[in-house]
Amino acid sequence: MAKPKVSSDWCAGCSGCHMSFLDMDERLLELVNLADIRATPFTDLKHPDEDGVQIGIIEGGINNLTHIEVVKRMRERSKYLVAFGDCAVFGGVPAMRNFFDLQETLHYVYVDTISTDESGKIPNDPEVAVMTRVQAISEVVKVDVFLPGCPPSADAIFYTLSELAKRRMPKLTGDLLNWH
Amino acid sequence: MIHLTIDGKQIEVAEGTTVLRAAQHNGIHIPTLCDHPHLAPYGGCRLCLVEVKGARTLMPSCTIPASEGMEVTTTTPKITEARKFVLSMIFSERNHFCPYCQVSGGDCELQNSAYEQEMTHWMIQPNWSTFRVDASHPWFTHEANRCILCRRCVRTCNEMVGNNTLGIEMRGASSMIIADLNVPLGESTCVSCGMCVQNCPTGAMMDNRSAYLGLTKEAESVKSICTGCSIGCGIEVFYRDNNIIKIDGDYDNPINTGVICKFGRWTKLYEFDEAEKFTTPMIRTNGKLEPASWEEALQKTSELIKSTQDDLAAVISSELTCQSLYGFISLFKDHLSAKIVTSVEGPRHSTALKRIAEEIGGSFEDSLASIDTADCIITIGEDLIKHHEVVGFMIKRNLSNNEAKLVCIDSDNSSYEKYSKNFLNISPGTEKEIIKGLVAALVKLGLKTCDCDDCTDPDAIVQAAAKACGIPSDSILDVAYAIGTSAKPVILFGGAITDDPKAKALTTLLCLNKMLNGKLITVKGKANSLAASQYGLDNIQKIAKKGETLVAVLADDKLNDKWSKLAKGANNTIVLATYQTEFTRSADIVLPVCNWAQEQGHFVNFEGKIQWREKLVDADLNVKTTAEVLSLLAKHLDFTIPTYWREALTATPASVKIQ
Repeated sequence: MAKPKVSSDWCAGCSGCHMSFLDMDERLLELVNLADIRATPFTDLKHPDEDGVQIGIIEGGINNLTHIEVVKRMRERSKYLVAFGDCAVFGGVPAMRNFFDLQETLHYVYVDTISTDESGKIPNDPEVAVMTRVQAISEVVKVDVFLPGCPPSADAIFYTLSELAKRRMPKLTGDLLNWH
Repeated sequence: MIHLTIDGKQIEVAEGTTVLRAAQHNGIHIPTLCDHPHLAPYGGCRLCLVEVKGARTLMPSCTIPASEGMEVTTTTPKITEARKFVLSMIFSERNHFCPYCQVSGGDCELQNSAYEQEMTHWMIQPNWSTFRVDASHPWFTHEANRCILCRRCVRTCNEMVGNNTLGIEMRGASSMIIADLNVPLGESTCVSCGMCVQNCPTGAMMDNRSAYLGLTKEAESVKSICTGCSIGCGIEVFYRDNNIIKIDGDYDNPINTGVICKFGRWTKLYEFDEAEKFTTPMIRTNGKLEPASWEEALQKTSELIKSTQDDLAAVISSELTCQSLYGFISLFKDHLSAKIVTSVEGPRHSTALKRIAEEIGGSFEDSLASIDTADCIITIGEDLIKHHEVVGFMIKRNLSNNEAKLVCIDSDNSSYEKYSKNFLNISPGTEKEIIKGLVAALVKLGLKTCDCDDCTDPDAIVQAAAKACGIPSDSILDVAYAIGTSAKPVILFGGAITDDPKAKALTTLLCLNKMLNGKLITVKGKANSLAASQYGLDNIQKIAKKGETLVAVLADDKLNDKWSKLAKGANNTIVLATYQTEFTRSADIVLPVCNWAQEQGHFVNFEGKIQWREKLVDADLNVKTTAEVLSLLAKHLDFTIPTYWREALTATPASVKIQ
């Protein structure tokens, strides 16, 4: 049987989960033996294969329209979608924004903050994605595997991916399960 | 006895035991959130659901009593699903963002329960409404976003402390923990005992000092006692890297059964954090306190003491260990025969008690635990709101839990007034008269008989008492009726009664107690007052003569105004102190000693129980324990301190049994 394809992408996250992914160290080689790592933020390919991957991974929650596109594309192209880390699972730190009005928040960040220049200006380039309320991945698409943690430990990531690569549904317990 | 089966295990429990307790006593784990072993069952969180054979639905094990032949199962797929659902609802109701919470990672019972149920997520996101944060209290913060409405804090405030400050407003999802009639905590009737903080299962009640200092789970802990007053409450201290993280009440200590007051939890700890401490011995040279070595300081001290042998006065704080107190009296009284050897409290808490104990030839006081079962509590001349707060909590919780009566007799405006229908505000110094009046009133009402001789004309005595005390005679009769009709009265008396060398008021009180067949308790000032008085450290204090040398062994205690004034008369002042105070600034020699957290030793609480206080943290390198400094000083004065402190405690009769 061919090695299952794995692809990942990130949305409103800090990339810490992907750093934790790299913390697998020598087990990355083991993972490469088990799975075919395709488009990820640290490989050259930009998008998951059009003919689909076995495992799609999303780090970060959704906070703009581009993220919705990214997540929907990943969902369409992957058999199992993994919500990777607290932001993807719950909304995480970016979701704190939901407690405030979006325009007020932008004004505070780009105009009122001491570090901004005097002519503080909220970016309004049409190329910039339209911001939305921060959502967990599961609020937009169906998620098959939840891997919480801030970030998830390398052990938890290796366990989850290697189980999925071996075509088993991972079950996080004990030390592998934490979202603190 | 009831027989039931839990998870196939045959179990026998007493009637009235809940299924949850039956399981816990037999080593079967059932997850819980709103349940607390020291609070009454509540049934609020539904995490402890179990399957009972024949029951239509899942049942909360914390509130159903075990019944004969019951068959209980604690884990099935149906139960796990229900528990996960319950937890999902709790997580979704408010804003539970673990990564930014100080209890996340082991101290949070909500998070632990979710991990235990193997929850990786919850399907319903919160609705992003914000809940209030009440940071008006100096020592703790109520973060309602993290509240799960288990009401443990409310129940603690009511059942353990009897203060009823916390409550709930609104219903269902809009329920909110509030103080009083919804005022900020800092402006409420809160007594700052912090029991709600100790019992909160999540991070909703946050201790401002220990939050983010480190997880309790990862800290080391030791059980010790609080030496803030003479109760000697059990405490559990969490520490790490020579720093105290926090102090909790110790539920295993039979004296306070877990409840402590603001003093034990916060005041002493903040004082320790903030006070300026001595780190080296100091000697006054050219009018200024200059650092010196221990050898120099001890040499100078012993020379001063030797040169003023006839005019030597020595005072010690009764907050110090038995070892220090005994070392002090052996050195200054037995060896140096100093003119005055006493404690900072002097005779206030002991003379009358000692006299009566000698007359009776033994103890006559009861233990604190009798308050919990009393149906009438009489306080005379003691403000248990200001001092010995935990005794006050016990009284208040008895009033609300068991509907006991409270009678207050005080010349001060007792803070208990609002709790008591029977409050006698007597003129100062008329404690004896009012007790006599009550004795006569009981006879007059025909409730009790008195075998004393002077009760021949009870009517006249009541009238005389009313006149002397400045209160109407009817109120004496009312109070007499209240106490005469109770089955298990407890009389708590204080300094106003004990501070009398002739023990007149106390003799009358004993007579009253005998008539009522009640129990007598008196609190005794500082942590080791009883030991100090047993060692004979309770002389009247007067020194003011020029040419005297005063040795004050204080550690972290402070001198009261009376002593500070007396100390000014002394020519030379030698102080053993931890913190820099107004008094130490005028001292001639300062020997730095350990405080309550740094020195271990024995204490005798007011019930006569000898307890061990643990050393919690190390002091600075150049700071020694009081006991060590006293023995070093003794060495310089060619004396060795004997080790018979325990025997000396029981050498004279005491009003309580010392053991």
